[in-house]
Amino acid sequence: METKNRIIFHIDVNSAYLSWEAVYRLQHGDTLDLRTIPSVVGGDVTARRGIVLAKSIPTKPYKIKTGESLFSAKLKCPDLVIVPPRYHLYMQCSKALISILEEYSPSIQQFSIDEVFLDFTNMEVHWGDPIQAAHRIKERIKKELGFTVNIGISNNKLLAKMASDLQKPDKVHTLFPHEIGDKMWPLPVEELFMVGRSTTFKLHKKGIFTIGDLAATDPKLLMQWFKSHGRLIWEFANGIENSPVRQDFPVKGLGNSSTIAFDIEDRKTAHRALLSLTETVAMRLRDIRKSARVLSVYIKDRDFESCSHQRKLDVPTNSTNILYQVACQLFDELWQGQPLRHLGVRTTELYSDDFYQLSFLEADIERQKALDAAVDQIRNQYGWDSIVRSCFLYSRLSPMMGGVIQEEEYPMMSSML
Amino acid sequence: MKVLMKPIEMIAWFTQDGLPTPVRFRMEQPDGSYIVIRVARTITRKEERLAGNPMIIFTCQSIINGIEKLYEIRYELRTCKWYVYKI
Repeated sequence: METKNRIIFHIDVNSAYLSWEAVYRLQHGDTLDLRTIPSVVGGDVTARRGIVLAKSIPTKPYKIKTGESLFSAKLKCPDLVIVPPRYHLYMQCSKALISILEEYSPSIQQFSIDEVFLDFTNMEVHWGDPIQAAHRIKERIKKELGFTVNIGISNNKLLAKMASDLQKPDKVHTLFPHEIGDKMWPLPVEELFMVGRSTTFKLHKKGIFTIGDLAATDPKLLMQWFKSHGRLIWEFANGIENSPVRQDFPVKGLGNSSTIAFDIEDRKTAHRALLSLTETVAMRLRDIRKSARVLSVYIKDRDFESCSHQRKLDVPTNSTNILYQVACQLFDELWQGQPLRHLGVRTTELYSDDFYQLSFLEADIERQKALDAAVDQIRNQYGWDSIVRSCFLYSRLSPMMGGVIQEEEYPMMSSML
Repeated sequence: MKVLMKPIEMIAWFTQDGLPTPVRFRMEQPDGSYIVIRVARTITRKEERLAGNPMIIFTCQSIINGIEKLYEIRYELRTCKWYVYKI
C-alpha cells in the first residue's frame, strides 16, 4: 500500500492520569471534578517520589510542569489539590479505551498507556469519512468512558501523533503532508517527536528554532552533527515516516530504575539495590526469551546530578547473577562516594536466548539457568514475593524494585514509532 | 435527590443469565443505627462503564418511613459492592 493513501489515527487521552482519576471519583459520588480545578497526580512524598505525574488544564496559568517536585508546584499554586496515583485504574481505563477502538479497525497499536495508533486505511467503507468517524469515536469515548481524547489524523504515524498534540482538549486535528507548512513548521523545534532536551540545546546553538528551520536545513549537515539521529529528525520535520501500525512491538532494550526512599551512602546497600533492580530486569528478559549483550548502570545523586556507565559483555546473557556481577563492577567504576537517591539498570542489544556461547572463562551456565528457571516458576505460580533473597530482610529495600505495576504488563512510552 | 454514594448490605436475586435485581438492603444511618429497606419496584436498569469501571445503575422505588421515595442504586461489578447513589 502506498504511504500517501494510508489513513492513520493517533488517539491521545487528555491529561490521562488526572482525567481518569477525576472520572473515577465522579463515578464514586464525588461532586468535584478534578479537571475543573488546579490539581495534579503526584507520587508519594514520603517515599521521595514526590513529583508531578499529570496536571489538570487549570494549572496552566501557574506554569506547573510535569516532572517537577510537588513542593515547588505547591509554592506556585498554594490551593493545588494533589491526588495519589492509582496505576490499576489507569490500566483499566486504557483497556476500556482499546476495546472501543478495536471495534473500528483490526489494526491497532498501543503506543503507551494513554496513546493508541489506529490504522483507518480502507475503513471508510464501514465508517464513512475519516474526520467524521474520528469525531464519532471521540464523542463515544467521552460518553461511555467519561474522559476526553484528542485524535490526530494523517498519512503516517508521526504526523498523526504531531496532529493530536496541536490543540487540546477534546479535539480532532488533521495534519496531512500539504498542511505541514501551516500547522507544523511554525512550532518550536522541541515539540517534534524525538527532539529531546540535549538535541534542542544543540539545535538552538546552530540557530534552528522551529520545526520549519529544521526541515529547511541540509540533511548532510545534520548527519554530521547528530549522525543517524540527524537524518531521522530531518525526515520527521519533513513529515517523512512510514512505519506500519504494529501489534507486536520489537523490544530494543529493557531497563528498570527506582528512586530510593533514603539516600544510599555505602557500597553494600547500593549493590543490594542493584540486585533488586537486576532481579526484575533479568526476569523480564527471560520472560520475552531474550538475552542482553550490553548492560548499563545509571545513578543520580542527592543533588540530582546523574551519570551512567555501560559495558558490552563477551556473551549475551539473561542470568540474574551474571548481570548483577557486571552491574556491580560498572557501579564501582562509576561511583565517587556521593549519596545516591536514584539507581537504574538497563540492558540493550537483545538477542534471542535459544543458544548460548560456552566459554572456558565463565562459570557453569547450565546451573545458573536451572536456578533462574526454578525461581521464575515459583514466582509466576505463587507471586513475585514468594521467593526472595535473604539479604533484603531488614534492608529497607524491596527485593524486586521498580516497575510501576508488579502484576501486569504496563505499556510504557517508547522512542520508536 | 441528594448524592450519597453510601455502601450498603444487599440481598439481590440473579437470573440464570446473570441479571441482578435488588430485593432488600440495609443501610447505616448517621446515628449508627440501621434501616432495612425493601425494594418495592425496580423501574429502570442501565449499565455504564465510566473510567472502564462497569456499574449497573437501578432506579428503584420504596416506602421509607411512610413516604414513597425514588432513589438510585449502583452495583459495581469489579468489587461486587452495592451503593445507594442518590436518594
